[in-house]
Amino acid sequence: MLQTLIPLAVDALANAALIFFVAVGLTLVFSVLRILNVAHGSFYSIGAYVAASVGLWIVGAGLPDWLTFPALFLSAAVVAAILGPLLEKTLVSWTYGKSEAVQVLVTFALFLILEDLQRIVFGVQSVYQDTPMAMLGISEIGGIVYLNYQLLLIGFAAALLIALRIFITRSRTGRLLAAVVADREVSEALGIDTKRMFMIAFTLGVFLAALGGALATPTTGVSPGLGADTMVLAFAVAAIGGLGQVEGAAIASVIVAAAKVLAIYFAPSLDAVAPYLVMLAVLLVKPYGLFGSGSTRKI
Amino acid sequence: MLTVDKLNVEIEGTRVLRDLSLSLRSGVCTVLIGRNGAGKTTTLRSIMGLIPRISGTVVLEGREIQDLPANRRAGMGIGYAPEDRRLIPDFSIEENILLPTLALKLPAEERRERLNQVFDFLPQLKDLRARPGGGVSGGQGKMVALGRALTVADKVLFLDEPFQGLAPALALEYARTLSRLRKYRPDLALLITESTPALLREVADEELQIERGEILQTATA
Ligand SMILES: Nc1ncnc2c1ncn2[C@@H]1O[C@H](COP(=O)(O)OP(=O)(O)OP(=O)(O)O)[C@@H](O)[C@H]1O
Ligand SMILES: [Mg+2]
Repeated sequence: MLQTLIPLAVDALANAALIFFVAVGLTLVFSVLRILNVAHGSFYSIGAYVAASVGLWIVGAGLPDWLTFPALFLSAAVVAAILGPLLEKTLVSWTYGKSEAVQVLVTFALFLILEDLQRIVFGVQSVYQDTPMAMLGISEIGGIVYLNYQLLLIGFAAALLIALRIFITRSRTGRLLAAVVADREVSEALGIDTKRMFMIAFTLGVFLAALGGALATPTTGVSPGLGADTMVLAFAVAAIGGLGQVEGAAIASVIVAAAKVLAIYFAPSLDAVAPYLVMLAVLLVKPYGLFGSGSTRKI
Repeated sequence: MLTVDKLNVEIEGTRVLRDLSLSLRSGVCTVLIGRNGAGKTTTLRSIMGLIPRISGTVVLEGREIQDLPANRRAGMGIGYAPEDRRLIPDFSIEENILLPTLALKLPAEERRERLNQVFDFLPQLKDLRARPGGGVSGGQGKMVALGRALTVADKVLFLDEPFQGLAPALALEYARTLSRLRKYRPDLALLITESTPALLREVADEELQIERGEILQTATA
């Protein structure tokens, strides 16, 4: 029994870790900017493509293999540093104060543009670069075999959750972001540069999504359509956890990933819909998600 | 100190302020009186830069500030206590008071100094410092909003209907606090809005009437 359950649990948690990176960024951007960015999943696939390409280049150039680890983080940082400010200052900021329908349409247009750009730049082939996973190898504990890279992913996600909480409650920028989430106008009147906060939150969201994608490449590779798949999962997580909820996103990531892994194992035909069945069930009982509320705004 | 000249503001296509001019001087308490919907809040919000204007200028100590982003005004010494307190519910009272100084990146000693000044002037806030902003009464919240505005109000202080919703005893206490404020910060230029002038007779130096977005007459109280 345990021989089956533990690998399943590890698989679910490693999947949850990757979904969490994207979903927590989505929820953060939603809290601060009050925009549901439909293109958010594209940052995941762009991060994945860039990281895989950089990894392939490192190995191809005969550089030391361990460089593929820092390259994952560096790729995400570069994607965020370029796309974050660029998109926020142009398309995204144009939608501020506009109706939700306009925001969805504009960010959907952005999604289509980004998808096409990825096809042009990275082609339509799957890209696979698993040096980091191969390097870490496996461990065998009590007769159960673990992929060390999966354990590392789970550790990263847990560290991110703690780091985000500390950032929000302790750092100056984190406090200012929390104030903007709670009351935008008063924040501005009290001296907070809310425009700058929007840019920071958006860029952080892009970074987290791109990092999720980068960290996913060694296990799953990347191919066209990844952005859309990821977006719907991230949306399900954000809805289940409650939009704007950091810890909620973590727990919801585990729920969604568990639903997906269980479905793959026990009812493969339900694999794609399992996360949404869970989402539907949660929203029927709690319309604002497990941890969300209709009134107070906080992160 | 602060001069507003021919300010015109529209909200959703309707003119809400018409050629509104007023002038605030250091050490002078100006009261802006008007009925519900007359445009008091809009006056303060547009001077703060929180709503776009059609035309008009706002001059602080010789410098035109009407085109600066709203967040720059706090750094120029304008404190603002909005209608309905607007504390951050999950920040502690102390953090609420310190928020403007955090936004302005003041050094840690300076921030502590300003917090202590607020506690000196409003000692009742000291006991509440650890409570969440969402966990104080309406009257206490008004004091917190006043303290928060004072941390950056080096030159000008705006109070939007500070007496609204206060029980008579609390309103009296708040009025006394304002009288003390005049002595404690004698150089401050004060602008207080109110729909019922009675409570402000004690502190007002100048009274302005606003009706449908227009200043009617200037009377000295
Ligand atoms: N968000 C808004 N949308 C539409 N109209 C508005 C809005 N805010 C204010 N107004 C209009 O602008 C006018 C002035 O409003 P304002 O809030 O400045 O009045 P006030 O004097 O502060 O009133 P009160 O005593 O009720 O606070 C009113 O006629 C109001 O209907
Ligand atoms: Mg008002």
